[in-house]
Amino acid sequence: MTPIACVGYTNAWPLTRHLDRSVFAIREAVPSEAARLLRSGEVELGLIPVAALLSDGDYEVVPGVCIGCDGPVTSVLLVGETPIEEWESVALDGESRSSVVLAQILLRGPLGRPDLKVFPVDPGSGRFWAQGRTGAVVIGDAARNLPDRLITRIDLGEVWKSWTGLPFVFAVWAGRVPLAPEVMASLRDAAVRGLADRVSAPEADRTYLTEHLRYELDDRALMGLRRFAALAYAAGLVTRESFSLYPPPRRLQKPLDVDSLLAKGAEGGRLSPAEGLRLFEHGRIDELGLAAHQRRLALHPGPEVTYILSRNINYTNVCVTACKFCAFYRPKNHPEAYVLSREQIAQKLTELVNAGGVETLLQGGLHRELGIEYYEDLFRWMKSEFPTVSLHALSPEEVFHIMGVSSLSMDATLDRLVAAGLDSIPGGGAEVLVDEVRKRIAPLKCTSDEWLEVMRRAHRRGLRSSATLMFGVGETLADRVEHLERLRQLQDEYAGFTAFICWTFVPDNTYVTPGDNSAAAWLRTNAIARLYLDNFQNIQASWVTQGPGVAQASLYMGCNDFGSVMMEENVVSAAGSTYALDITEVERHIRDAGFVPVRRNMRYDHLELRAGPRRSGGAEASL
Amino acid sequence: MTDVEVSHIPKTSTAPRCVTRSGPVVLPRLVRQRAMAVGIGDLAERVAAGERLDAGDARRLFEVDDVAVLGALANQVREARFGDLTFFNRNLHVNATNVCEASCIFCSFARLKTGDQGAYTMALDEALGRIRAQRDRLVTEVHIVNGLNPDLPWAWYLDLIAAIRAERPDLHIKAFTAVEIHYFAEKFGKSYVEVLTELRAAGVGSLPGGGAEIFHPRARRKLCHDKVDADGWLEVHRVAHRLGMRTNCTMLFGSIETMDERVDHLLRLRTLQDETGGFQTFIPLKFHNENNRLRRLPEPTGNDCLRTLAVSRLVLDNIDHIKAYWIMLGIKLAQASLWFGVDDLDGTVKEEKIYHMAGASTPQELTRADLVGLIRAAGRIPVERDTLYHVVAEA
Repeated sequence: MTPIACVGYTNAWPLTRHLDRSVFAIREAVPSEAARLLRSGEVELGLIPVAALLSDGDYEVVPGVCIGCDGPVTSVLLVGETPIEEWESVALDGESRSSVVLAQILLRGPLGRPDLKVFPVDPGSGRFWAQGRTGAVVIGDAARNLPDRLITRIDLGEVWKSWTGLPFVFAVWAGRVPLAPEVMASLRDAAVRGLADRVSAPEADRTYLTEHLRYELDDRALMGLRRFAALAYAAGLVTRESFSLYPPPRRLQKPLDVDSLLAKGAEGGRLSPAEGLRLFEHGRIDELGLAAHQRRLALHPGPEVTYILSRNINYTNVCVTACKFCAFYRPKNHPEAYVLSREQIAQKLTELVNAGGVETLLQGGLHRELGIEYYEDLFRWMKSEFPTVSLHALSPEEVFHIMGVSSLSMDATLDRLVAAGLDSIPGGGAEVLVDEVRKRIAPLKCTSDEWLEVMRRAHRRGLRSSATLMFGVGETLADRVEHLERLRQLQDEYAGFTAFICWTFVPDNTYVTPGDNSAAAWLRTNAIARLYLDNFQNIQASWVTQGPGVAQASLYMGCNDFGSVMMEENVVSAAGSTYALDITEVERHIRDAGFVPVRRNMRYDHLELRAGPRRSGGAEASL
Repeated sequence: MTDVEVSHIPKTSTAPRCVTRSGPVVLPRLVRQRAMAVGIGDLAERVAAGERLDAGDARRLFEVDDVAVLGALANQVREARFGDLTFFNRNLHVNATNVCEASCIFCSFARLKTGDQGAYTMALDEALGRIRAQRDRLVTEVHIVNGLNPDLPWAWYLDLIAAIRAERPDLHIKAFTAVEIHYFAEKFGKSYVEVLTELRAAGVGSLPGGGAEIFHPRARRKLCHDKVDADGWLEVHRVAHRLGMRTNCTMLFGSIETMDERVDHLLRLRTLQDETGGFQTFIPLKFHNENNRLRRLPEPTGNDCLRTLAVSRLVLDNIDHIKAYWIMLGIKLAQASLWFGVDDLDGTVKEEKIYHMAGASTPQELTRADLVGLIRAAGRIPVERDTLYHVVAEA
């Protein structure tokens, strides 16, 4: 049982009447006595006057509730038989601690009587002292039943409000020792029930409890209390100028025993979906990172971190899927709709070759009028004009679309595209491979099964592809695990995925409310992916959405590749991501993180760079 | 400018602040293993044993590329102190003038003279207007840092503070770097004690930690030859601490300083802290390169930022808090840093000018909900604090 002190006034009734008597041993007292009980250690917690909070001891305040007012309070008054202008002194009733301080502050301030002599009198005797030219501070229930002779009645709550614009807080729950969270919760529970009960209070008290008093210790009440503390301290009426709420418990729910899972993943063991979920829910970022790095070092012991120089060619922005998270697409007749001409594509590829690039990433919207022949012609032409540039093109979504436009089977489509020069498939459009999520954010896109089926058949033909995850769209952690699980299952079949790449949803200019798309989530997801995807060789740090600094950290938390220097990138930047690096900057970031930058191709083969000055990708992009 | 004997005058509140007594540092197996693998196993053990690191140790830590193991080690120290608690506050910045006699080459904010293009000095009412605009918010601190403006009389500063104090007596005024205090002392012929005592009487509650830059004379001469030197900077803080004022401290990293100079800087702060205990928070400040004379110098990368934060946590064993200033780190890196030794995110800053004029692309303000969300998403527990680390409100 926790011994606590309460005030017996009507105004405390909503906070105290439902206190759980199996949790609390309750002592009832006037405010000054409640403060004394707490000071002497006879109780652990008290509903104490704020003046005691600011003078008596190392107390902390229970957040959430208080006894206060936001205007006239009717029970904290300066009273007298004569008008205040005629007073010579004021009696300070010993029942009160805060109100007498408040009265002195107001006398010096807005009431304009700093000259009045003040003197303490016995608890409860204030109204008897109010005679002739002596006024008195009277509080509590006594103040609500005053004899008629006291014609001056100045409501201190009202004066405070008109002077500061703020609520006033008279009393708070406060105590010294750390409080068990259950005790705190029990106090609150009692308050919630008591406040709801106010409507059934006796008629005479109802207005007082529901309109004059204010029980929320919210931002405005805290401002009022802080203002009071500062003024009282400056006036020398209390000894502390500030106060502290009880801090929350220092630890989140103790992580379950994830050490063995981390060890298992770090050693390349296969984690079950349930185990993956436990890592998402309970793994701590630092340990996840270290375990993932251990696994990464087993797969890539060398000092290299790879990156690719690539050019994104978004051959059209016309698209029929209208995904809610996309800021790039335009409907066909929109003034900003385009399909690139051969000349435009040739110019881009010439720039790429001149910069030493060996690959282009060709992706576009789903244009109803572009069938297989368009792509066959385009690929053949590109291969003959630019034979050194490999063609990383057409996400599964686009393959699907071509099948539909040209009424072909998936196998026939892939065969014809490969024959025309397709080298590999980007893993975009995977988003989250959980149909519930896909339906919500991209209702017209292919299903998870369809996406995976395109990849399966491509891998079976020897085409390699990457695999992506776009998260932070409101999916659950279990959804992320399911995504990883489906990728891992397919990878078991043909080992066709070169790498896993995840990025966070970028919300500007789109219609999807973001979920957790923070840097912390991205680091965790990469680390868990490294541990979970035991059959993937590479995890790419895609710095486009998180910035290069966070991506550098990920090189020690599971990632082994620094993504691409994109000579052109339209999709993510349309959604407001602002990071752009050229080759020099990418290499500087890799080196500064302690690795050797190595250029690679799409299959993650390391490339020997031909001699000659490096050209800057970023500069090219602005051409 | 040595000072007369100042006795310790505990003036500021002694109400409970968030507990900083450190529990034991327990190294998870993964941290211990990786620390050994990168050659700092002995340092990790010493950190776990609560032993102090010396200059050579600090230097070795700065040479470690693996920022994750440094971060994990610093994180253990941070968690031993605060668990998952992560502090933030609601404050506003007033940079009342950018006219500045000093010629620091990393600065994009200052203008040499009144009347220069872009030069401004706020009238009292303009500064107060910024305070009044926050009337309805539980802002708990105003942070005031200015240029060294030769045209302003001493009364201007006292009036500014007194006016803010009268307007919002509950607002903690954290004002004037040691560089400014030194400037006032020289310009107005006062001792540090006199300057600080008068400011405190007007309402200044504590000093911000700016102007430390890099203490070592070689780098300091190059960066800011006409600013107060290291001894002067430290003396101002010593005097403030003895007067019972708490202060913060900073280091400008990533420009032209060497690693040894960073270590030297940290140790000078640690030595003064041993003597006075008055520093609350250390804030490493990342060099920004736009609109100043160092624009050809690349900015430090994220790796360097996180490493510096982590090493600071490990070396500064006597300073309670390590703060990430999101204005200059970027929001994403600042959030990640909560796992690299950092326990405090700088507040919901309003009207920040100094870094934004150096090209910081961060927004002018994060709302309280933004900050709480970032901290929660990092797997930490947000705690709203005031300047002196009282818990202000439920987050």
